[in-house]
Amino acid sequence: MTPLGLRPPKPDAPATPAVVARLRADRRARDRRAALTGGVLTAALLGLTTASVLLGGVGRLDPADVLPAAFGLRDGLADYTIFQLRMPRALSALLAGALFGLAGSLYQRLIRNPLATPDIVGISAGAGAGAATALFYAPAAFALGVPVAAVIGSFVLVAAVQGLSWRGGVDTYRLVLVGIGLSAVCTAYTNYLFLAADRQSLAIALRWTVGTTNDADWDGVTTLAVGFAACALAALLLARPLATLTLGDGFAAGLGTRVTATRVGVLLVGAAAAALATSVVGPIGFVSLVSGPVAVRLVGTERSTLLAPATGAVIVLGADVLAQHAPLISPVPTGVLTALLGAPYFVWLILRRRQGAS
Amino acid sequence: MTQPPTSVVNPSIPERPPASPARTRTSRGTTVAVLAVVAVGATLVAGIGLGARDISPLEVVRILLHPGEQAFDTHVLWTERIPRTFLGLAVGAALGAAGLVMQALTANPLADPGVLGVEQGASMFVVLGIMLLGVTDTGDYFWLALLGASVTATLVHLIGTRTDAGSSAVGLVLAGVALAAVMSSLITLLVVRDKEAFFHLRFWSVGQLTGRAEVLGRLLPFVLVGLLLALPLGRTLNILGLGDDTARALGVRVERARLTAAAVAVLLCAAATAAVGPVAFVGLVAAHCARLLVGPDHRWSLPVSMAAGAVLLTGADTAGRLVLDHGEVQVGLMTAVIGTPFFVWLARRRDLVRM
Repeated sequence: MTPLGLRPPKPDAPATPAVVARLRADRRARDRRAALTGGVLTAALLGLTTASVLLGGVGRLDPADVLPAAFGLRDGLADYTIFQLRMPRALSALLAGALFGLAGSLYQRLIRNPLATPDIVGISAGAGAGAATALFYAPAAFALGVPVAAVIGSFVLVAAVQGLSWRGGVDTYRLVLVGIGLSAVCTAYTNYLFLAADRQSLAIALRWTVGTTNDADWDGVTTLAVGFAACALAALLLARPLATLTLGDGFAAGLGTRVTATRVGVLLVGAAAAALATSVVGPIGFVSLVSGPVAVRLVGTERSTLLAPATGAVIVLGADVLAQHAPLISPVPTGVLTALLGAPYFVWLILRRRQGAS
Repeated sequence: MTQPPTSVVNPSIPERPPASPARTRTSRGTTVAVLAVVAVGATLVAGIGLGARDISPLEVVRILLHPGEQAFDTHVLWTERIPRTFLGLAVGAALGAAGLVMQALTANPLADPGVLGVEQGASMFVVLGIMLLGVTDTGDYFWLALLGASVTATLVHLIGTRTDAGSSAVGLVLAGVALAAVMSSLITLLVVRDKEAFFHLRFWSVGQLTGRAEVLGRLLPFVLVGLLLALPLGRTLNILGLGDDTARALGVRVERARLTAAAVAVLLCAAATAAVGPVAFVGLVAAHCARLLVGPDHRWSLPVSMAAGAVLLTGADTAGRLVLDHGEVQVGLMTAVIGTPFFVWLARRRDLVRM
């Protein structure tokens, strides 16, 4: 079995050909399953994106105009609605979900506790506070100001959470508790910034405390796309050392992993991913928490980091379509729906397991 | 998914070894009680005397002696500052008592009406009533809040005592956080499309004391009843702290005693939330201050916790009025900023989270 992402033993190792064959077959089966799941998720993403663009929530559009406009055959309002309102919205939901999923999966694998994700330990809230500060005190700042401030805010929070929960080692539950506390301060600060402001900024306040894709534009999509490319690349580079960390620090060091560097790297890449997503759509909660474990359940721990972004994207995009169209409740901010779906899952995660199950 | 190594603590076994109830010496208790009364008095004076509008102390005294005048300063004092200060004292005392009772009942130093999500649940039911049932009467807010607080407290207890999170203290907090997230999401869901309600409730939902003159009259009775019911609980809590078996041997009906104490705590949370919205961390900080001052004897720490909560909430509100040149910082935000360092410090304690 290869639970840690390490190759099966080489044929010259003391293993019988039968065992090697079993291992190879097992590995191929897992690969096939991962590919199949990846395919299904991709199809779901395509379907949801299409649904989001065609159904829309922003801008009234004559149904007869939707399809022609989507192929660029209409000008004016229809063209604007499809290409300036709906497409950026669908793409930001997709990319932000992917970033949240990536961040959550990295943290869960590093900290080895499903609860220790950027949204629970306050890193998204820190990013939101950073972004809100930039937006509030330097509204005319160039477009990069908000994402940069969000990343800085998230790094400050990572340092604070790690530093404050350090006590001859970091206990994961202490980390989660400290994160919950710091998250409360950040949310209070963000609320304060916008409550001090006037009525007009209420919609903005909602975006920075709950998270919504309402104000998506192409600038945001660019930020998210560049951010996702960078973070995914970094995550790929860190994947092997991260897998060895699962064996324990001593073992990992023996295998040639630079333990501290890997740990810091994963923490920062995860925080940056969550922060970049937050800087565009706000701190949409519980997505990082849910995507990792769902991906693990779908394809196993070994390949989950690859699929977690796709899972996160499906969750946010799906929640966004629901937020725009669900009967009785729409339109609502996307973050409300992810919280309503994610919090019960959180409860399920903390409930005591039955005897015998691990 | 790798599960973290955890030590499962059976909730029926007390986490502290049974010991004889710690008694606070009467001399020490009396000293602290006198100090607490002085502190409450000072907060009362500060709350009335200080504010965004500069009114000189002599002028304040003169207005207090002549309540009927038609001057703007008189209006500010009698319809804004005085009701607001008394409301702050009453609600703070309620939260302090609720925090201490919750911590004693759950043997959990992190318990707090806000942290455990009870206030959010109460708020959600109030908002639900306002939006769907068209409730407008402030007194009815209380009954809605009571229902919401009871439901949430029951849920948090059911979930929190069945978790796998290292210790029941952590489990309760996590359950509270999850339920608070659900409740505040539901509030947003209910009000987000109604601009006026959203604007109104948004301020209420972070906790504030502004413009609540009429609230004082309607909700003060509920708060006072709760406080009076809470005062005699000290002895019961002391005995319950010895562990269920010892308490039973001493002739206490454990289940009934626990339920009574929990009901009083829920009532206090509901009254406080109906009055000012969810204000977290006041109960947490007040309860710990009280225990630091008079030790674990609940007969003394309960009233001291009320005083500490009153001072904390009113002090935070007065400070929130002064820190800005224009406008004010809502008291719920102030207490979050004051209370979080406390929470983090507690979370760092070695005996809370088992390694």
